[in-house]
Amino acid sequence: MITDVFMRRQALILGTMSFIIIGVLWQLVVDFGIVNPFFISTPSAVWQELLVQLQDGSLLVNTAATLYSFALALGLAVVVGIGLGVLAGWFRDAEAALEPFIWFKYSAPTVAFYPLFVAWLGYGTPTIVAIAFLFALTPIYANTLSGIKNVDRDLKRVATSFGARPHDIFFRIALPGAVPVIVAGLRLGVGRALTGVVVAELFGANAGLGYSIAYYAQMLQTSRMMVPIVTVILLGVILTQALSYIEKRTEAWRVVHDN
Amino acid sequence: MAEIEIRNLGIDYRKPNSDEVFAAVDDISLSIAAGEFVSIVGSSGCGKSTLLLSVAGLVKIARGTITIGGRPVSGPGPDRAVVFQDASLLPWRTVLGNVRFGLEMQRWTGGDLTERAMSMIKLVGLARFADYHPHQLSGGMRQRVNIARALAVDPQVLLMDEPFGALDAQTREIMGGELLRIWEGDKKTALFVTHDIDEAIFLSDKVVVMGRNPGHIKEVIAIDLPRPRTQEILDTPQFTEYRRRLRAHLAADMAGMHFMEEAA
Ligand SMILES: Nc1ncnc2c1ncn2[C@@H]1O[C@H](COP(=O)(O)OP(=O)(O)OP(=O)(O)O)[C@@H](O)[C@H]1O
Ligand SMILES: [Mg+2]
Repeated sequence: MITDVFMRRQALILGTMSFIIIGVLWQLVVDFGIVNPFFISTPSAVWQELLVQLQDGSLLVNTAATLYSFALALGLAVVVGIGLGVLAGWFRDAEAALEPFIWFKYSAPTVAFYPLFVAWLGYGTPTIVAIAFLFALTPIYANTLSGIKNVDRDLKRVATSFGARPHDIFFRIALPGAVPVIVAGLRLGVGRALTGVVVAELFGANAGLGYSIAYYAQMLQTSRMMVPIVTVILLGVILTQALSYIEKRTEAWRVVHDN
Repeated sequence: MAEIEIRNLGIDYRKPNSDEVFAAVDDISLSIAAGEFVSIVGSSGCGKSTLLLSVAGLVKIARGTITIGGRPVSGPGPDRAVVFQDASLLPWRTVLGNVRFGLEMQRWTGGDLTERAMSMIKLVGLARFADYHPHQLSGGMRQRVNIARALAVDPQVLLMDEPFGALDAQTREIMGGELLRIWEGDKKTALFVTHDIDEAIFLSDKVVVMGRNPGHIKEVIAIDLPRPRTQEILDTPQFTEYRRRLRAHLAADMAGMHFMEEAA
């Protein structure tokens, strides 16, 4: 325990240090004229812009728009992904019926459907949500499927020996046993939903961090563009860390074997 | 209590990646009286688990019959409980929750489930650990929970498949002694698979020696040692004689295996 806390602190210190060093280097290479600030801006200029965008409220508006689309997409992906995953994990026929779509989904780049979605749903939130939903769906579905399907055979046999019925095995063994794997899928899904939203916003939106990035990029305003980029990175880190934390807590649910 | 009657039992398994079947055990006949403690020994792969699982109703009977208290076995039933080699506890449930599990699956109607589970947890000496999760327990403690879960449903027949197989020799000896103490409480009919000859003699009224290809019974040795038994019994001449006989049987089986490998 003590070494654990110590290790965590050490990791935090080292991580912070490398972060600061990169920031300093970033500033220095521009200050010494090694790299043109047009390409990478500088930490101090980004900081100035951050304050501006905070004050005029645009950062807040864009972050809210992105989070809104993200929440909708992730919510949909969770419901559909876990729903279909459970179905396919438990019923062989359902898995076989869904398989072609999954292969299709794995091999075809989702962004390629962007124009099609625009045609159906128009520019804006519905299309963004649809793209992000598809981004997030695959890992959530795939993990749920494998979690349910690979129900621990020994536990199943124990339950059977006590007279368990199929629904007992589903609710008492398969579903709880799948939780750690499903949560791991959610962690991947969260990252991909955010990516999906930002990518879709780059193409066409009237608010959002992705939109903001594209907007300032068109204006060739690197420092301003860096603000939404940094915000997206921060959001991604926070969301993924939160899920990692939950994932660690469900780790104890994984089945251990003595032999 | 119930007696077990096995007549000309044969169990077939499918060979991996083919439709061919082979007999894992064949032509097994064995009578176990109510309240008797019977051990099964034999080299690895000779069909000990298969025999036990068939009594549990967890594998399909291809030939012959098994009856328990006169009723033929066709699947699992509340008259039997299995202690598997792997503790196979639900990691998301506490010790209490795990011991309750069997009762819940059986739709136990003999009173309050938690009370019943707690009394079994006390019986195996884990009262202080009722709120622990399996990953917080030692291997020996997990096996105690495994045993308590089986005892909780108050089966007439207790089926144990190398329950102490993963434990070190010392823990194993202690657990064997405790198992006997518990068993002597209400003398359930017990079928116990083990690799350990001393363990088999120490615990049993009868030791069944199995041979392989296909699994069959080579000999049934009655253990005529007084009960209740304590560790001192291990050093008596009678015990040593039983040990010698069983060793000879198993050694012959091993020699046979060796011979077959050379012939192949
Ligand atoms: N589910 C199964 N499908 C196919 N073959 C099996 C299956 N279970 C066991 N067998 C085979 O049946 C034979 C008997 O296996 P069993 O597990 O009963 O042996 P055992 O005596 O319990 O061995 P061990 O002492 O190693 O546990 C072995 O050849 C084994 O490979
Ligand atoms: Mg076995």
